[in-house]
Amino acid sequence: MDSALAVRGLVKRFETVVAVAGIDLDVPAGSFFGLLGPNGAGKTTTLSMAVGLLRPDEGRVWVLGHDVWSDPTGAKALLGVLPDGVRLFDRLTGAELLAYHGLLRGMDPAVIDQRARELLDVLALAGAGRTLVVDYSAGMKKKIGLACALLHAPRLLVLDEPFEAVDPVSAALIRDILQRYVAGGGTVIFSSHVMEVVERLCSHAAILADGAIKRVGTLDEVRGGRSLEDVFVEVVGGRTATGEELAWL
Amino acid sequence: MVVMFVRLKLRMTANNFRGQPWRVALFLAGIFFGLWWAAGGFLLFAVPGLAGSEKAALLVAGFGGGALTLGWVLLPLVFFGVDETLDPARFALLPLRRRTVVTGMLAAALVGIPAVATLASTAGLVVSAGALGGWTAALAQAAGVAAGLFLCVAASRALTSAFATMLRSRRMRDLAAIALAGLAALLGPLQIGLIAAAETADWDRLIGPARVVGWTPLAAGYTLGFDVAAGRGWAVPLKLAITLAATAALLWWWSWSLEAAMVGGTPTTAGPARAARGGAVDQLIPRGMRWMARNRYAALVARETRYWWRDVRRRAGLITFLVVGLFLPVMINVAGNARSPGTVSISMIFVGTLAAVTLANQFGYDGTAYGANVVAGVPGRLELRSRVAAFTAYAGPLLVVVAVAMSLLLGEPTWVGLLLGTLAAAYGAGLAANLFVSILAAYALPETSNPFTINTGASVAKSLLSLVSMLGSAAAAVPMVVTAALLGDAPTWLWLAGPVGVGYGLGAAALGVYLAGDVLDRRMPELLAAVTPRR
Repeated sequence: MDSALAVRGLVKRFETVVAVAGIDLDVPAGSFFGLLGPNGAGKTTTLSMAVGLLRPDEGRVWVLGHDVWSDPTGAKALLGVLPDGVRLFDRLTGAELLAYHGLLRGMDPAVIDQRARELLDVLALAGAGRTLVVDYSAGMKKKIGLACALLHAPRLLVLDEPFEAVDPVSAALIRDILQRYVAGGGTVIFSSHVMEVVERLCSHAAILADGAIKRVGTLDEVRGGRSLEDVFVEVVGGRTATGEELAWL
Repeated sequence: MVVMFVRLKLRMTANNFRGQPWRVALFLAGIFFGLWWAAGGFLLFAVPGLAGSEKAALLVAGFGGGALTLGWVLLPLVFFGVDETLDPARFALLPLRRRTVVTGMLAAALVGIPAVATLASTAGLVVSAGALGGWTAALAQAAGVAAGLFLCVAASRALTSAFATMLRSRRMRDLAAIALAGLAALLGPLQIGLIAAAETADWDRLIGPARVVGWTPLAAGYTLGFDVAAGRGWAVPLKLAITLAATAALLWWWSWSLEAAMVGGTPTTAGPARAARGGAVDQLIPRGMRWMARNRYAALVARETRYWWRDVRRRAGLITFLVVGLFLPVMINVAGNARSPGTVSISMIFVGTLAAVTLANQFGYDGTAYGANVVAGVPGRLELRSRVAAFTAYAGPLLVVVAVAMSLLLGEPTWVGLLLGTLAAAYGAGLAANLFVSILAAYALPETSNPFTINTGASVAKSLLSLVSMLGSAAAAVPMVVTAALLGDAPTWLWLAGPVGVGYGLGAAALGVYLAGDVLDRRMPELLAAVTPRR
């Protein structure tokens, strides 16, 4: 199977801290790939380097055969990205933001208008009208960000924490959209630290901790017959409370 | 409690240096410049007293002190911004009384290079007063200098904070623009005074105004030692009271807007959302740009155009430029008696350069949102060309207005071509310089609601950068100045200057976009990292 996203020997250091310590990763085309890891594991750093937002110290990344760092135009045309903790151009309204992203991607204005209307309807954002994105709620911002990533029908979607701060109704909606997208031949890689979401959605998963891949494969390979949470806690090495501390609570 | 605030500020400043050698270097540069100014100010304030000239001492204390206070009020608004290491919003959840927060924040604001430099230079007044009136005068002046410093810091904080609140609300922002204009107009009398002083060199005539200024809060604290020396001891409590009352009023005002900042900006769009009309693309493109082809360039220009008005920070920059650009040349040229194409050209170069310097941190305004353009792979030249075009949509008409208004005010309508040409040349050359500055020296702006705030330690960087980009822009406009100086008001040059200047400006800007676009193509991720606030 071809790789939609291939990562080789990716390294990133911040001052003295090694955030990503040599990651190799293959995301098969047509897969729904979950990147799991505790806070500070290097998920966002890895994904940022994979989409060309952050220059790696070492290593290479290919998106459907296009090198992200030597052939950015080819790679970026196939990519849809929803970064986390990154502001949108939030002084625009939802529709304006979609039009902006569409025109930046070189789309036909008529197609942009039609898709923007559909996306705003489906994601229940049409009611926001001329409200600026900066005044949206956190969940609405995630949804308009996702709409921007989907607008140009990319072949690979890279989503950083797409379900964070999203209410259950919107989360179900987003899941539905993503599953349809994968069924239509697209590839999704998303980061999360919520096991249930990954177990319910993903065909493949990887567990990232301390800047390195600890487990990778199909969901069943990673789980090895146990629950994903057990595997995750074992791999990451979390502590379990003994009940002695915090007695004053 | 106050000590806690000061220690918190020092700790945050120190932590900010961690692993960032260039920040340490900038901080040291800031200390160096601070010392430089402090030493110069100290000499200026101390020499008249040491030389035994009571009149000169009063002049220096009155006008110098007044200018210092005005500088504290105006410069943060116009050029430097305020160092809000301690963001008031962070204290919102703590059980602190408002009075505690205000005194703590004031104490923290006093710990900084500008405050220390001010104190050091005004200490010259103590020496001066001591030389003239003995130790009682020196003692009184020391108290006055301390009170004056409090006033300066309180004034700068209160004003920036109030303007931030005003610019945030849609109803008040026009009022804010007018108020800012009024403040900038204060520079006018100062200019006239200075020019008159330089021209007449009749110092006795200025003693009166200096006395008057000495009784306003601007310089009351700085002149009281000389009253003691002149045998008017009764003035000391009065002048101290004036200074302290002004400080108290400013602090009260500040605490009132601090409260607003602590609770966070109230959402400006109240009520039901207005329904959108038309397709998404038509909504994005502003009405005046409907003729443009719907492509990437149009999208970038449209977004930038909307941002210059919708983003509070950018709007503040735009309004500041508008006010300074209109008032300053009027003040300089109408007040002064010398009207030659040369002096007018120089003030025009200043205005044109100032317009371009507004773009010096254009990517910093976007912050992490710039990532969207990186992901979309926008070519560097296209990016820069669209940003220049969008900003020129605001700055261009304004420059034309400045040129026409100036030529009419000077009563020299034939100079309009020369003025416009000089403005355009300086603006275009300034753009070329500032495109490089905005890519190579971008810095992150804090994500607070106060458009005047900058990050810890960034004030030095910001002021140095403004200076560098002003100098660079002016240097790029040199050929135009030289030509103007050589040809003077030769009639052919008056007519030729317009087209030549516009051509020069266009050429410089195009070259800047071409060269800087290449640099941007290579540095997009680095630029994004530079404008990402550290959390």
